[in-house]
Amino acid sequence: MFSRSGRLVTEMELKAFNQRILPVQGRLFRLAQLFLRSREEAEDAIQDVLLRLWTNRQQLESYNSIEALAVQMTKNICLDRLKSHHHKKMTKDADLVSMEADDVSPYQQAELSDSNQLMLRLIGALPEQQKLILHLRDVEEYSFEELEQVTGLSINNIRVILSRARQKLRENYLKVNDYGSGY
Amino acid sequence: MDQDIEKLLDRYYEGETTLEEERQLRQFFQGNDVPAHLQSHTAQFSYFAEARDQHPSLAFANELAARLDPPKKGRVRRLTSWIARIAAGLVLLIVGFAGGMLYYGFQASGNGGNIALSGRDRESVAEMKKMLDFEQRAVTSASERIHAVNQSYELSDVDRNITQLLINTLNFDPNINVRLAAGQALLRFVNEPDVTEALIQSLEIQSEPNVQIMLIEALTGIREQRAAGQFRRMVKNREVLDVVRLKAEEGLDRLARQENPSS
Repeated sequence: MFSRSGRLVTEMELKAFNQRILPVQGRLFRLAQLFLRSREEAEDAIQDVLLRLWTNRQQLESYNSIEALAVQMTKNICLDRLKSHHHKKMTKDADLVSMEADDVSPYQQAELSDSNQLMLRLIGALPEQQKLILHLRDVEEYSFEELEQVTGLSINNIRVILSRARQKLRENYLKVNDYGSGY
Repeated sequence: MDQDIEKLLDRYYEGETTLEEERQLRQFFQGNDVPAHLQSHTAQFSYFAEARDQHPSLAFANELAARLDPPKKGRVRRLTSWIARIAAGLVLLIVGFAGGMLYYGFQASGNGGNIALSGRDRESVAEMKKMLDFEQRAVTSASERIHAVNQSYELSDVDRNITQLLINTLNFDPNINVRLAAGQALLRFVNEPDVTEALIQSLEIQSEPNVQIMLIEALTGIREQRAAGQFRRMVKNREVLDVVRLKAEEGLDRLARQENPSS
């Protein structure tokens, strides 16, 4: 009887948890992929994040935005993993297969993944804060208010960092592709 | 159009565009009529659009679901803290004691305070129960059931289960001889709780004259005053056989005499 009611509570909690967290899961995954550059490692990292959130589900109520919290956690876990020596060995191999577009023809895919691969690498090479803000804005379409919540920076500051990131990305892209200086 | 895009691009690189404007840019660069001089911007906008379609694999979702809701095992593993273990141990002890007390209480009330049945008794009781069981009636013969009823004579102690079994047999066995045997057997246990009440009640439902007479004699024999009401009803009931009504009247007389010896 005791354990049964306990189980019921957990099931309800699980349902509530899934409703709030699952929609965010894809975003966390893409962010982790940006940092870790490998599908497997990204999945591993966000599983870590989601399990931690689940373990602390009682405290989640006190946060304004669970998504912001989850994004912060994902970023931190990814950075932790990058620091560990173990990671450095693996990424070089993983780099080759990291970006796979799902719904495109093989021909298109080869073409797209070439330039997408390059973009991913170029964005990955940006300073950490620029990388995070550029990704959240241009891929995940975060508003400035949401960015403010995640980063804890002021909106003006965010604009400056975003602008730098965009310019830097373009600059590096032009360098690699050897476009004329006219553009 | 191109000029609008160029203006948007300028603002984009300054970090001044709105989300809506950025959506326009992505749409424009994903289209097919991007002029040559803007072509170099295409790669990044198509990457943004493309990157959004990346999702964790299905296998990942399944694994996560399994880890969030581990099937049963997780519950057992959760007793990791000291206090939980001790509490669990205490709960088991308490349940054990409570179970024991309940069992003992049940035994005591069933035996009317007597000691538990001896081993041999228990065996014959089990045999008896099996033979007289309601479901078994179709497959056992009347003589087998009478034999089972008579086994109760060998018991030194009885519990409520056995008297109830005999009462059921008395009331519901299809064979009159078995019913008679059960009634006779029950007479030994009139001191047990509820047995006399059961005999009186049985008199109400019995339709067989032999059994009725046996019960009337038995109840008069033990001077059961409470039977008087039922005797009176039988005397008045025209459906009851005359012999039985006479017997009931006689029983009433004897009961009355026993109650007021002076008259």
